[in-house]
Amino acid sequence: MSGAALLEVEGLSRNFGGLQVASDISLTLRAGDRCALIGPNGAGKTTFVNLVTGVIPPSAGTIRLAGRDVTGLPAAERVRLGLIRSFQVARLFRSMTVREHLELAVLQRDRRTFRLFASVARVAGLAGEVAELLDAMGLGAVASTAVGSLPYGQQRLLEIALAVAMKPKVLILDEPAAGVPHAESQRILDAIDRLPTDLAVLMIEHDMDLVFRFASSIVVLAQGRLLCSGTAAEIAADPQVREVYLGSRADAR
Amino acid sequence: MTMAGRTASRTGVAGAHPPPAARRDLGWIGIPLVAVAGLAAFWLLPDDLALLTRIAASALFVLSLDLVLGYGGIATLGQAAMYGTGAYAAGIAAVNWISDPFALLAVGGLAGGLIALVTGALILHAHGLTLLMLTIAVGQIVQEIANKARDWTGGSDGLSGIDPAPVLGLFRFDLYGRTAFLFALAVLVVALMVARRIVRSPFGLACRGVKEDPLRVSALGGSPKSYLVALYAVAGVFAGVAGALTAVTSGIVGLDSAGFPWSAEALVMLVLGGTGRLYGAVIGTAVFMGIHHILASSDPFHWMGFIGLFLIGIVLFLPGGIASGAGRLSALLSALARPGRDGGRA
Repeated sequence: MSGAALLEVEGLSRNFGGLQVASDISLTLRAGDRCALIGPNGAGKTTFVNLVTGVIPPSAGTIRLAGRDVTGLPAAERVRLGLIRSFQVARLFRSMTVREHLELAVLQRDRRTFRLFASVARVAGLAGEVAELLDAMGLGAVASTAVGSLPYGQQRLLEIALAVAMKPKVLILDEPAAGVPHAESQRILDAIDRLPTDLAVLMIEHDMDLVFRFASSIVVLAQGRLLCSGTAAEIAADPQVREVYLGSRADAR
Repeated sequence: MTMAGRTASRTGVAGAHPPPAARRDLGWIGIPLVAVAGLAAFWLLPDDLALLTRIAASALFVLSLDLVLGYGGIATLGQAAMYGTGAYAAGIAAVNWISDPFALLAVGGLAGGLIALVTGALILHAHGLTLLMLTIAVGQIVQEIANKARDWTGGSDGLSGIDPAPVLGLFRFDLYGRTAFLFALAVLVVALMVARRIVRSPFGLACRGVKEDPLRVSALGGSPKSYLVALYAVAGVFAGVAGALTAVTSGIVGLDSAGFPWSAEALVMLVLGGTGRLYGAVIGTAVFMGIHHILASSDPFHWMGFIGLFLIGIVLFLPGGIASGAGRLSALLSALARPGRDGGRA
């Protein structure tokens, strides 16, 4: 818990016209942190992710990645610095195989994608690293399958494998188990459990079972503001959270 | 081959076939096949060598379009800008300074690559229809420059007087066009090998990623536009070499080499043969120009109508182009062979 601060968000705000979708959010993630970001629908969770990753610019506030101010940097540059996200809806290249995805991620990370005359099959060290990633995620059997014909749960695993292949410092998982049958979500959680311990993980998740199994700390967002944060036990006991989040969720069901 | 695996995976029945990667490794067979088919045509059709030479050079041009469209997803109707630039650059160099055919191809390739790099950097931020319009505009500009610079290009009279030296100092460009065809075929085969190398490289992989989802490539830390500009420039080199090859083997360069109809015709040939497979470019060009040649001499008034009907038939029944037919045929045969006798496999 006392690792170096990898992601420091301070006073992050964003408004679309008069609509305040994120206001004054501050958050610090340290090496080894397993933090869950929860909140009811429309609380601004995805907006927060988009702000942090640089998809949309903030109206105010700063974002520091491993001590470096990245607030003004474009999204791709933040990725190169180690701020990686997975997508809520699996965003993959449908006609490419599982192996090709991981090859592309590793090559891109090492900036070796402008080699025009090298064969992908013969890039030094690539095959071995890809094989390790396939093993770690249990995707070895489908390595040569085009992703378009892969079951959704395995697409989600690949999404996580891609993020891991980038060797992130900070990993943001946007509902990693969304759309996956409950029986299979265990495999995804297992994969997340095996992530390198020195990286900071922020998970956005609706499923409270997953949240309590995964997170050491929880941040609650409601109507674009930080409602409260604390350890999993503190949040579970917090009456305010129960009312705003757990309560409204129970009504919805 | 590549095509079989792709088609299978698109229709979601990949499980019934060997994995695509295992099949893709057989793709190299197409290159010796093209060489053998070319040599067979050389022996069988000695009176049509001028046509066969045009087909080989045009196939190289269509191949450049396949790199751009089939591997980068760049919709363009201006590929002839690079072809015309390469043809004129080689032609002007041949008339004024150099005569070695390989040096002329290099000049053409360099010119085509440079114009593609510059115009690509300017227009490739656009997508869809806007990009299509911009590529057409670039083609028109190149053609108009060639038209106005009469002193260099001969304007609408065309550039003639290109008289290349013997290939390797040994093989003169003869009256029958034998050297010209074999030279063109050799260049096409080498270009196919280089193109295959490129599409299987890390760069080729990244370009396929951009074609499918540029935003996902950004999320991996890549810059989609720089891949597209680089791919456009690489394809420009191929188109420029194709233009130079036409100039060297035919001895003339005309304004139509940079014209819009030539860009559009290349697109038709590519769609006919199949995009994203390299060989589709060769097959489509050979079929299109072959049919054109036969029909235009037997029925000069209606041949375009037959081409149109043929194209409609291909698009309706073989949406992946002729090159996808081989994969579909083998899938069909194995499906037919499965129930009952199993010895009947092709």
